Amino acid sequence: MIDDSRPIFLQIAEEIENEIVEGTLAEEAQVPSTNEFAAFHRINPATAAKGVNRLVDEGILYKQRGIGMFVATGARAALLQRRRDRFFDQYVRPLAVEARKLGISPHELAEMVRSSESVTGGTP
Amino acid sequence: MTSVIETHNVIKTYRNSTALDGVNLSLEPGKIYGLLGRNGAGKTTLMSMLTAQGFQTSGNVRVFGESPYENDRVLSRICFIRESQKYPDAFTPKHAFRSAALFFSNWDQAFADRLVDDFQLPLKRSIKKLSRGQLSAVGVIIGLASRAELTFFDEPYLGLDAVARQLFYDRLVEDYALHPRTIVLSSHLIDEVANLLEHVIVIDKGRIIMNDDAESIRGSAFTVVGSAAVVGSFLSGREILHTDNFASLASVTALGVLTPAEKREAAELGLELAPVSLQQLVIRRTLAASTGDLNAVANHSLEVSQ
Amino acid sequence: MNRIVNVMRMQLINRWTFIGIPAVILVASFGLSWLIWSLVPYEGAKYSGGSQAIMWYFLALGIQSLTMTFPFSQGLSISRKAFFLGTLGLFSIIAVVTTALYYVLSLIEVATDGWGVNGRFFALEWIAEGSGLPMMVFYFTVMMVLFLIGFWAATIYKRWQTTGLLVTGIGAALIVVGLVFYITRAELWGQVGQFLGSQSQLSVAGWLAVVGVALAGGSYLTLRRAVP
Repeated sequence: MIDDSRPIFLQIAEEIENEIVEGTLAEEAQVPSTNEFAAFHRINPATAAKGVNRLVDEGILYKQRGIGMFVATGARAALLQRRRDRFFDQYVRPLAVEARKLGISPHELAEMVRSSESVTGGTP
Repeated sequence: MTSVIETHNVIKTYRNSTALDGVNLSLEPGKIYGLLGRNGAGKTTLMSMLTAQGFQTSGNVRVFGESPYENDRVLSRICFIRESQKYPDAFTPKHAFRSAALFFSNWDQAFADRLVDDFQLPLKRSIKKLSRGQLSAVGVIIGLASRAELTFFDEPYLGLDAVARQLFYDRLVEDYALHPRTIVLSSHLIDEVANLLEHVIVIDKGRIIMNDDAESIRGSAFTVVGSAAVVGSFLSGREILHTDNFASLASVTALGVLTPAEKREAAELGLELAPVSLQQLVIRRTLAASTGDLNAVANHSLEVSQ
Repeated sequence: MNRIVNVMRMQLINRWTFIGIPAVILVASFGLSWLIWSLVPYEGAKYSGGSQAIMWYFLALGIQSLTMTFPFSQGLSISRKAFFLGTLGLFSIIAVVTTALYYVLSLIEVATDGWGVNGRFFALEWIAEGSGLPMMVFYFTVMMVLFLIGFWAATIYKRWQTTGLLVTGIGAALIVVGLVFYITRAELWGQVGQFLGSQSQLSVAGWLAVVGVALAGGSYLTLRRAVP
């Protein structure tokens, strides 16, 4: 849901990205209209449009005049690549920082990651 | 883009008080504006000047490029139902809506009917006998169904329960999406309306203390919690809005956006970061303005807009 | 122009205010007068001031149309000018219709020998002298003046609250007292009496019309800067 930490349009863009990455929104599937996003999240339609347009600019979505907005072919792969690039900064580094604070050695940490694999049942 | 509203140094003084103290504003068409501020900050007075329902002591107001005073061309495109709106004694809500239909050329009766159902408003009860919430609902319905190019909502939620307020916000967003127009929503319940706004204007003691795009305000401040000394050195050189001390801990709200590197640094220093809501930011700014540090506030506005 | 007509339509949305209540007042005061006439065992013409009742209601209406309807009209983005012209225009029509009604009823009154009981309600002695026209002009101007007094008083209240009304009231009283004092001092009462005695319905209506126009002008100028 919407929080106060960042501009809402970024949060809308991320929400759509997540759905594409998770496969809820398949490639070539139609995306809800900006007005539907606005009504659902109770946000300003202009803000919703800004989030959607950002993805259009990036080539993740494309517009078809008079029909609506669709997920571009190859969008999922592109998003996955981008997320992989950010994965280290976003997750690995804070993990390592916290581990060091707690006195967890890199070896132990690696072991923990491996064991968590069996808990979550493999890659999502 | 030509502006819908343009004011130049609007001042309104009463015998022994100043209600508006040099207001300069420019509002663009097709946006939802939030006019935020405490009770008595000057919100209703400002809207009265903008609609020529009241008279400024000095300064200049232009609406749709013209003076609104006694100007049917301009007035016919405006709707401003005030929070304390009076209705003829013998009127019922039905009479009020029929009157509104006569004067607002975009009036949508079907929409008004639907809103009456939504708010469960008794159409044939005398307006004198309505509850505060029902009275607010009459104003809200006229404001929404008028679809005026420039619509003001003056604390429209007074007496409305949480369900009815949500209903109002929902209908506003839906209808605005289908029929874009300029909306000025005056409120002191900032959290409730924050996400609906495209632009935020904060007024305090008759002065505009914030005037920015809502999205650029969101995330324009942050709170750091941690050991007072560490927080102090981490934030050195930043504009501080507010400090709370508790034992050796400090919770400090500062203006600005942290880069990913700074966020990493904060995490490595063992500091906690928390977002600041629009409401919190407005409260901090208003309090800062009250302490008389107006120059600092003016600088803040500049920073936020950049 | 369209908005002025719409102001009239707005004032008529609740028909009770401008039509229903005056009708009820008229019927009730006439009915009451008729009842009293029929009970009084007097042979000569019996007069009733009941036809005034509706006119005093018009004074109240003048007050009401400003205090309640003016703030509402501002909420509907109606200019002060359109509100003034529409309200005054509508009331003029009401006054014309009422006057015509009074005339027709006065004819019936005379024809039926005072509604069968020798009562006088509409065709009052001095007012009904001569042809119907002077009577109608007289009734019309009285109604307009009363309405405008209410309207202006309410406008003054709206702009300057109690202080405004007080100042206007005291000012008006001072003028009257000063006039009385002057007439007494100059021993002009005889001439004044002569002057009043020589007035016809039309000349009184003429004086009232002057007052009415002054009241209308004053009301408009006061309303121009009134705040809801």
